[in-house]
Amino acid sequence: MHDFSRRKFLKVAGISGAAAATGIGCAPTNGVRPLEKAHVVVVGGGSGGATTAKYLKKFGPDVNVTLIEPNATYHTCYGSNWVLGGMVDMDFIAQTYDSLRENWGINVVQDKVVGVDADARRVRLEGGDNVSYDKLVMSPGIDFRYDAVPGITEADAERIPHAWKAGEQTRILRSQLEAMPNGGVFVMVAPPNPFRCPPGPYERVSLIAHYFKQEKPRSKIIILDTKDGFSKQGLFEEGWAQHYGDMIEWRPASDGGLAEEVDVNEMTVVTEAGFERVKADVLNFIPAQRAGRIAHDAGLTNNNGWVPVHQSSFKSEMDDNIYVLGDASIAGAMPKSGHSANTQGKIVATAIIQELSGRDPVTPSSVNTCYSLVTPDHAVSVAAVYRYKDGAMTGVEGAGGVSPMGASERFRAQEARYTRAWYAGITNDIWG
Amino acid sequence: MRNARIYAAGLAASLAMIGSASQAVAGDEITRGELMAITCQACHNAAAAEHGVPDLSPYPPELIASQLRAFRDGDRAATVMDRHATGYTDEEIEAMAAYFGN
Repeated sequence: MHDFSRRKFLKVAGISGAAAATGIGCAPTNGVRPLEKAHVVVVGGGSGGATTAKYLKKFGPDVNVTLIEPNATYHTCYGSNWVLGGMVDMDFIAQTYDSLRENWGINVVQDKVVGVDADARRVRLEGGDNVSYDKLVMSPGIDFRYDAVPGITEADAERIPHAWKAGEQTRILRSQLEAMPNGGVFVMVAPPNPFRCPPGPYERVSLIAHYFKQEKPRSKIIILDTKDGFSKQGLFEEGWAQHYGDMIEWRPASDGGLAEEVDVNEMTVVTEAGFERVKADVLNFIPAQRAGRIAHDAGLTNNNGWVPVHQSSFKSEMDDNIYVLGDASIAGAMPKSGHSANTQGKIVATAIIQELSGRDPVTPSSVNTCYSLVTPDHAVSVAAVYRYKDGAMTGVEGAGGVSPMGASERFRAQEARYTRAWYAGITNDIWG
Repeated sequence: MRNARIYAAGLAASLAMIGSASQAVAGDEITRGELMAITCQACHNAAAAEHGVPDLSPYPPELIASQLRAFRDGDRAATVMDRHATGYTDEEIEAMAAYFGN
């Protein structure tokens, strides 16, 4: 671990409005730096990064916090299925950094981090600047692995969208669905574990079915799954049978679902050792995933492409001054969800403030709540409470679980109202 | 609570000015109860309240604790709060509840 007292200067270069250089006379002698002199750089303005930045300022108003995010407007992945189903438009899922900047005093820099020099404790920006840090927080999200299935590459994503990072990709898939004729076939290739938002693919087909039922009722949906089971499966299948008849067909990996090749020109997915060819009018190929590229480039990932962290603080196992949270991290029993990233952001902010002020770490406890819409008025949820135990975030026994099977229409509708409340609440907690 | 923090931050700044910057008096102590309590804010805040989920920040600690116990013990009907409340012991509920109503 770096010893603060050995450093005579803390240089915060290249960023206007960030901390001024620390004078020699103020250098702490016990390895503890006063909060108002510390500079925390947060990479990525999604759920994990924005929450960390905000709660750092909430806990330590004098800490200098710089948030680096390439996009001026961030589109949340959660809610993007509502766009695909025609329930809301893109503006609904757009978040900005105005409040973090103006109300919380966070230095928001619109740029992209292209390199991390962990020894010198600075990051390099695409725009050319170098930014020094005392603590670095990385919430880089996911990157795609197109190498798992032959025939398709990232260059095909404009024609065959993944729509697994919201924004332009969401727009592309929505316009393809709108252009598809009644009686067309929508095919989704669902990704292998672990991946961002485990129930997401199945909420997506639900809301696309809702759109088809209203506008294109003769259409069909086929899910080719890389897995033999999925999140909230019983609840989704119950809802699909109730609302969509036989419009949605799910093929598990062991029964013809495993995509072996994609013929992008023919918009066809090959399965069953070439004996089965599934032709799509609209094809949504969601690739296998790994931690966002910058985490890999910084040498923070393991052989599987994800980031090992000390789960009590989300501090990287590779570097004592770097914290990694959200989808990119290995977080024990916690799923890769926006809500997980939000609670992890609070854990990271706590850990950094405690460490910077020379206090003992806090043993974390956290939660996840994840709603999925089966129709706009029928939602199902999964919830969990986690504790740090034996080196990992572990689900508390007897707590959590999914919505009951066979619940009343009223119960499902209440959860659908809470789904909207959840979106309003969590986006306010993160970016408000 | 926020006032206490502002006071503590101010105190830290004063100490720094008189040359005692090596003392780690800078910002409030964050407790496990507080860390648990702020997880509630993701869903229970002013924006969510417009959609029928209560903003719990002004609720008195006694009410927070009694309702969490009621959800946990099955004495109050719920869609999801029972699944959360069963994750906490009495001590944890008290520790969390102390951070409401300020």
